[in-house]
Amino acid sequence: MPRLKKSLPHVALLGYLIVVLFPFLFVLFSSVKKDNNAIALNPFGIPKTFEFSNYVEAWVNAKISTYFFNSLYISILSSVVSILLASMFAFAVTRMRQGKWNKILFSLVLIGMLIPNNALMLPIYTIVRKLHILNTHWALIIPYIANAIPFTIIILAAFMRSLPSEIEEAAVMDGLKAPGIFARIIVPLTVPAMVTVFIVNFLGNWNEFLLANYFLSNDELRTLPVGMVQFRDQYQMNYAQMSAGIVYSVVPVIVIYAILQEKIIEGVTAGSVKG
Amino acid sequence: MNKALRNPLVFILFVIPALVLFIMFFIYPIFSSLYYSFTSWNGVSDTVKYAGLDNFKKALGDERFWVSVKNNGWFILFSVCIQVPLIVFFSLLIANVKKLKGLYKTAVFMPSIMSTAVIGILWGFIYEPNIGLFNKVLGLVGIEPVYWLSDERFAMLSILITNAWQWTGFYIVMVLAAILSIPGELDEAAAIDGATGFQRATRITLPLIVPIISVVIMLSIAGAMKAADIVIVMTKGGPAGSTEVMATYMIKYAITNFKYGYGNTIAVLIFMFTLVVTALYQLLFARRNERIEY
Repeated sequence: MPRLKKSLPHVALLGYLIVVLFPFLFVLFSSVKKDNNAIALNPFGIPKTFEFSNYVEAWVNAKISTYFFNSLYISILSSVVSILLASMFAFAVTRMRQGKWNKILFSLVLIGMLIPNNALMLPIYTIVRKLHILNTHWALIIPYIANAIPFTIIILAAFMRSLPSEIEEAAVMDGLKAPGIFARIIVPLTVPAMVTVFIVNFLGNWNEFLLANYFLSNDELRTLPVGMVQFRDQYQMNYAQMSAGIVYSVVPVIVIYAILQEKIIEGVTAGSVKG
Repeated sequence: MNKALRNPLVFILFVIPALVLFIMFFIYPIFSSLYYSFTSWNGVSDTVKYAGLDNFKKALGDERFWVSVKNNGWFILFSVCIQVPLIVFFSLLIANVKKLKGLYKTAVFMPSIMSTAVIGILWGFIYEPNIGLFNKVLGLVGIEPVYWLSDERFAMLSILITNAWQWTGFYIVMVLAAILSIPGELDEAAAIDGATGFQRATRITLPLIVPIISVVIMLSIAGAMKAADIVIVMTKGGPAGSTEVMATYMIKYAITNFKYGYGNTIAVLIFMFTLVVTALYQLLFARRNERIEY
């Protein structure tokens, strides 16, 4: 009886685990099946013969490599610039002594966390058009940088505030000016927090769909989520090949997650609570 | 001695870049939306015509707009009435098992770091009437194929299930963190007093995690009001507009149909509805200033 009681929660949890993981397995198995017919005949199991040509064809037909590198460089560049600008701002309002301005500016940025950003999509569309960058990668990079700024500032400012003030007092004694204190003292100390926000911002940009879908119309420029949707719309009937496409776009995220899971869970949940 | 840190010029130089972007992409858009919501601008022409409250009247009189409001409502109801109990149930279970805790946590969290677009595609495949996973499973017990995404009766439900599948684990991890931060002595003391596992979960742990559940509900409401990409990817608002949500309705008019002024009216309405729902929730349910000290 006690043994049964102990294993009951595990039964429920394993059930949940299957619900979460089976869709991935279903796609993985389907991706090595010959065609829709093979999927229909044997939907749940591993196929008898493995058909890897789906992967080759999906890579070519779906232009996965183009989309993949577009996504990669847009996400990295935007995240890095956000962190750079936000850390300068956070340094100024937490470590420099400008009386009430510190507080006013910081509170202003806090408001940004309360705004539902989908609702601002239309004005951002017009800004991007007026800047004549619609249908270039800048149309995503600049809004992505701006979008991440409030959250990045809040996390980095909280971290910088926790550093003892003796640090820069010593630095001032040594003759460092404010930019030097920022670059040589504060930034190196803030690296752990920066890693966390980088992961959150990167994932956010990597997965972003709405702006990427409406602000770019040139196929060569598309990012992975949009490219995948378009691929699905074109090859709707060929589910085996589509599954291979899904595997390509899911595997990098799973690999990163496997390596950095603690950091990711910490960062992503912190992001939402503070928001 | 702190002259170096009082230099206003350096301060301004450090603050300006982030501030300019912030004002350009957060503050200005709010006012711009508000302004254009009272016009009938098409988004490209040089002349902007003032339209008064016409757009608002049109939106509030449009049956399709109310369908989209109702669907946002379904999103909220589904997360609060179905997801939240599941979240609490599973986080209590994970908190109380000794083995495999890490595995459960890692696995349930995984869908929430994936792109919604890719998840929409994946689930589109699962819902596929002829070869999809769902109908194959139902077929085992002899149920006829269901056209999940193209049948008006099931399309919205299918989207809600997908959305729940993606986000439930995320909230479980949040609630789990709160449960694990409760000092163990409380539970031990209750166990010594003879409380059963079920009693400890409902009488000790549950009351202590009410604040985090409240946060989860707030986040679900915010998420429900933002939902758009999952609908665009899975059904494009169809069949016959039955799965349209406010954000997709807005995009459809403003970008696809060049009714930029009207689109902004919808943006303003989304804003107002979000405020009203959050305020209502805070007034009716959230216990304010609740602090727990151990």
